[in-house]
Amino acid sequence: MISLIRPLRLAGLAFRQLVRHRLRSGLTVAGVAAALFLFVVVASLQRALDRATRRTADDATLVVYRQNRFCPATSRLPVRYLDEIRAIPGVREVIPVQIVVNNCGASLDIVTFRGVPPDQLTRYAPEIAVVEGSIEAWQRMDDGALVGELLAGRRRLRAGDAFDAAGVRVRVAGILRSPHPQDNQIAYVHLPFLQQASRRGLGEVTQFNVRVADSALLDTVARAIDERFRSEAEPTQTHPEKAFFSEAARELMAWIGLAGWLSLAAAAAVFGLVANAIVLSTRARTLEYAVLETLGYPAGALGYLVAVEGALLGTLGGLFGAGTAAAYLSWRRLLFGNDGQTLALTADPAAVLQGLAVAAALGLLAAAWPAWRSAHRPVVEGLKS
Amino acid sequence: MTLDSFIRCRGLTREYRRGPEAIRPIDQLDLDVPAGEFLALMGPSGSGKSTLLHLLAGVDRPTAGRVEIGGVAVNELSRHRLAAWRARNVGFIFQLYHLVPSLTAFENVELPLLLAPLSRRERRARVEAALEAVGLSDRMRHFPRELSGGQEQRVAIARAIVHDPPLLLADEPTGDLDRRSATAILDLLRSLGRRGRTIVLVTHDPRAAEVADRVLHLDKGRLLEAPA
Ligand SMILES: Nc1ncnc2c1ncn2[C@@H]1O[C@H](COP(=O)(O)OP(=O)(O)O)[C@@H](O)[C@H]1O
Ligand SMILES: [Mg+2]
Repeated sequence: MISLIRPLRLAGLAFRQLVRHRLRSGLTVAGVAAALFLFVVVASLQRALDRATRRTADDATLVVYRQNRFCPATSRLPVRYLDEIRAIPGVREVIPVQIVVNNCGASLDIVTFRGVPPDQLTRYAPEIAVVEGSIEAWQRMDDGALVGELLAGRRRLRAGDAFDAAGVRVRVAGILRSPHPQDNQIAYVHLPFLQQASRRGLGEVTQFNVRVADSALLDTVARAIDERFRSEAEPTQTHPEKAFFSEAARELMAWIGLAGWLSLAAAAAVFGLVANAIVLSTRARTLEYAVLETLGYPAGALGYLVAVEGALLGTLGGLFGAGTAAAYLSWRRLLFGNDGQTLALTADPAAVLQGLAVAAALGLLAAAWPAWRSAHRPVVEGLKS
Repeated sequence: MTLDSFIRCRGLTREYRRGPEAIRPIDQLDLDVPAGEFLALMGPSGSGKSTLLHLLAGVDRPTAGRVEIGGVAVNELSRHRLAAWRARNVGFIFQLYHLVPSLTAFENVELPLLLAPLSRRERRARVEAALEAVGLSDRMRHFPRELSGGQEQRVAIARAIVHDPPLLLADEPTGDLDRRSATAILDLLRSLGRRGRTIVLVTHDPRAAEVADRVLHLDKGRLLEAPA
């Protein structure tokens, strides 16, 4: 019992010391918070990318694209492939899709239209739930859009609103929610409407999305499709959805890989800031620690006080930084895009927790050496300082 | 004859070496202090008074010799045990008070009690009693910078007695105070000494002789009954 109470009391003392040195602690916490903000944003981005590219057991979607094309503006396939794909063994459902993106390069504000035959969407994707408006309303409305909830949230769209993107003007017929993250970031519109609006021929689409009967069949079905159209004028290249993402969004992935270095820099900043604050404060308090030991504080308790201060600085900065990052990401709902592939950047609880743990651990680590020093300096030496 | 000594030093030596030179501010010193005595140690600056107090408190290590306090061989304890021993047995008062500047008078006095298994209420009662004993009940919420030197020293004395140690060691506690405050501090120590505590007061204030039971002079590392 006592063995637990004493560390808590001493931690309270360390906290009080931090509060009383308001300016020094405040500056350190602010610096750590800034670094942690960066860390959590990058970690969220990495985790979003991981979700978008890591293949799982229930993946059952293939994307049929024009061979060697990765931008929706250049991938063109004849609609007539539809029935032939449907006939390939292992294919459960297939839908032709026209993709129009407002920005094909790397961008933060991507709007993607997916033009699909309005009567085929529910059969192809029965998992889609309409949370506002209705599928029927969308089917009746030639220029209607069924908007993914992330996109709707970012553009603050409600059913009945109209909006423009990529030179296409649509009316919001409904808001959808899907277990597939990509669906939540795009707007479904009628295929003929989009083909006309984007001045493409009616017989032409960007891609086919294929659902296979069993995820174990993904690769065989993909090979069968490409084999079927190999000698056509418009040959295909078929990837599982996530592999397609990795393939198409290469630049984005390289960019996010670079961002990984930013988290390392952020971690180094946390360490440096806390270490600096603790080294300065322990140096200024050499006498204070010697006095405490003269009063009966064991050397270990002094080291503990220093370590707790470090851990608290890290944790407090972490709470502010990670909290701000979570709030910011929930508010901004950033959407990264590259070649028509989008990655929604939302506040990831795991990234927030990871950031908090990193901040606390680095704070503790940064205080380790000053703590050891404080616990090992001879008392008289401290008293004479 | 020294069986009932509370403090017993034998052949106590503290040597500082700098190259081939060695100085011994404490050299083969013997000291016996019976329990409850108020002893004043006098000597000019640099005569080794602080060194001796540090050795008694176990914050410094003798080069040779023994320090026994209340039957405990202080010079044989580990650093960790020494701290625990001080927490129960020693109150230390410094010339420059050495209060923790970021803590209030109350919090400073509470410091030794944070180590003890006492409830918040028990600690509060003890801190209030200690501050009352030094006449500072009305300054509990003040920070050291808001107190005069004499008041700071009284807070430091409250901090030294709050855990009720049998031994008080005071290193020139009036050295930095004006005459009036110094007298008040000496009177306060005198009254604390009457409650059965053993006190070793290091000073070069001649008035200390008036409050102490006995006065010893430190000279060339040893103790003399009369000034050299
Ligand atoms: N760390 C040290 N290294 C060398 N000499 C020291 C050290 N500490 C104290 N001394 C010397 O020991 C002597 C006694 O010092 P001290 O006990 O502080 O004297 P007092 O308290 O009586 O003024 C002085 O001559 C001082 O210079
Ligand atoms: Mg001295």
